Amino acid sequence: MSKYKSYQLVLFSVICLGLFGCTNVTIDQVKHQEVKLNKGDSIVVMGRRAGSDYETEPELISCIGEVLAKTNESLNIIPENDFVDKLYPWFEARTAPTQVRDLNRLLSYDKISSLIEDYQVQYIVWVDGNTEKTRSAGSISCGLSATGAACFGFGTWDTKSEYEATIWDYNSRQLVGKVSSSADGTSYMPAVVIPIPIIAPVQADACKAMAAQLGQFFGPEKQSIAVPNTN
Amino acid sequence: MTYISNKVINKMRFCTLIFFVLLTSCKSTLNVQGNFPTPVINQMPFSIGVVFDPQFINYQYIETGKDRSEWEISVGKAQVQLFDVVLSAMFSEVITSDKLQTISNKPIDLFFQPSLENFQYNVPNETKGKMFEVWLKYNLKVFDGQQQLMADWVLTAYGKTPTAFLKSDEAALNEAMVIALRDLGAGIALRFGHVPEINQWLKSKHQALQASTVY
Repeated sequence: MSKYKSYQLVLFSVICLGLFGCTNVTIDQVKHQEVKLNKGDSIVVMGRRAGSDYETEPELISCIGEVLAKTNESLNIIPENDFVDKLYPWFEARTAPTQVRDLNRLLSYDKISSLIEDYQVQYIVWVDGNTEKTRSAGSISCGLSATGAACFGFGTWDTKSEYEATIWDYNSRQLVGKVSSSADGTSYMPAVVIPIPIIAPVQADACKAMAAQLGQFFGPEKQSIAVPNTN
Repeated sequence: MTYISNKVINKMRFCTLIFFVLLTSCKSTLNVQGNFPTPVINQMPFSIGVVFDPQFINYQYIETGKDRSEWEISVGKAQVQLFDVVLSAMFSEVITSDKLQTISNKPIDLFFQPSLENFQYNVPNETKGKMFEVWLKYNLKVFDGQQQLMADWVLTAYGKTPTAFLKSDEAALNEAMVIALRDLGAGIALRFGHVPEINQWLKSKHQALQASTVY
C-alpha cells in the first residue's frame, strides 16, 4: 500500500470516528426550596431500579456523578456503589425508600443514621428513567468471499432517553426539587463495503444535560459544561 | 499435482475442523462471581449451624431448552459465599456443616438449611426491556437446637441488568445473578425475624435472656 493510500485510509477513519448523529435535549427543573450546601457536605446520586420493564442504567448514574463533580468542583459526590454497599441491604432495588418520609423509618436504626452522617450526606438524588431504541428501519447485508468481506445497505434507528431526578434533603427530610432530562436522536449506518456508524449519543447527552442542570440546582457553576444543542 | 491436491485437501480439512470447533464453542459458561457486602443489621446473640449439602454447594444450571442458547451456569459457590456473609452478620456464631447434626460439643441454638428450588433466567431477546433477568426460588428451613423443624418458608429473589455496549453476555448475566443474590441476602437479613415461628422463638429467647439477667 502506498504512503498516499495509507494517509487516505487514516483520514477516512478519522472522519468516520468524528461523525455523530444529532440529538434534541429538553431539560426542566422544579425547585421547591433553596438548597444550602456547607463545606464538606456531600451529595449521593443513585438510580431507581424498581421498574419492572426497565432499569436506570448504572453507567448513566456514574456519568451524572462524574459530570456533576466537574460542573461544580465544590460538590462532593459519593459514588453510588460505595454508598449502596456500605448501607447494604437498605438501598437495594426492593428495599430502598421510595418516599422521602420513608427516610425517617430507616434512620430510626442508629447504625444507618451514623453511617449516613459519616458520609456527611446533605442531599440524595434519585434518578429514574432509561434509554431505549424506539424505531429501527433498513437493512445491511454482509458477504464473505475469497477476496474479502464487504457490506452493503443502510440502517437507521431512533433512540430516546427520559430521566427524572428527585432531590431529597437528608437533614430536613423534604423533597427539595426535581430535574428532568429527555433526549432523542436518530443514528444512521450506511454501508458501502465498510459500515460507517453515525451514532447519536442520546444517553451521553441526556447525562450531560441532567448533570449541568443539577449543577445549577446546587449552586453556581464554576466550570461550564457544553449542554447539547437543541435543534 | 498430487502434492497440490493433498495440500488443498489438508487446508479444507483444517477449515472444517476450525468450523466445527467454532460451532461447539457457542456454549456460554458462567461461574457466578461477586463480592457481597456485610449487611448493616443488629446481630442476634445466638449460634447457628448452617447446613450446605453438596448439591447446594455445587449447584449448576444447564440449559436444556432446544430453542434457547446453551448456557452452563454455576451458582453454588456464589450462593454459599452470600449465606456466609449474611448469616455471620445476623448471628454471633456461625458453624457450617454438610449434614444436619450437632457439629461440636457446644450447643447450637438454631440450624438453617437453604436449598435452591428453582432457577430461571431471561436473555435480552426474550424480554421487552432488553435485559438479562434472573429469578431464584429458595426453600429455607430452620430447625431448633434439637434438630426439630421449626420454620419452612419460600424466599424469592430477582435481579436484572440492562445490556450495555461492549459488555459480554456472561458479564451481564453475572451482574444480574449478583443483584439477585444481593436481593436474597436482603430478604434473609430483613425478613428472618418476621417469619411467625421464628419471631415467636426469638421472643421467648429474649424473654429468657432478660429473665436470666434480672435474677
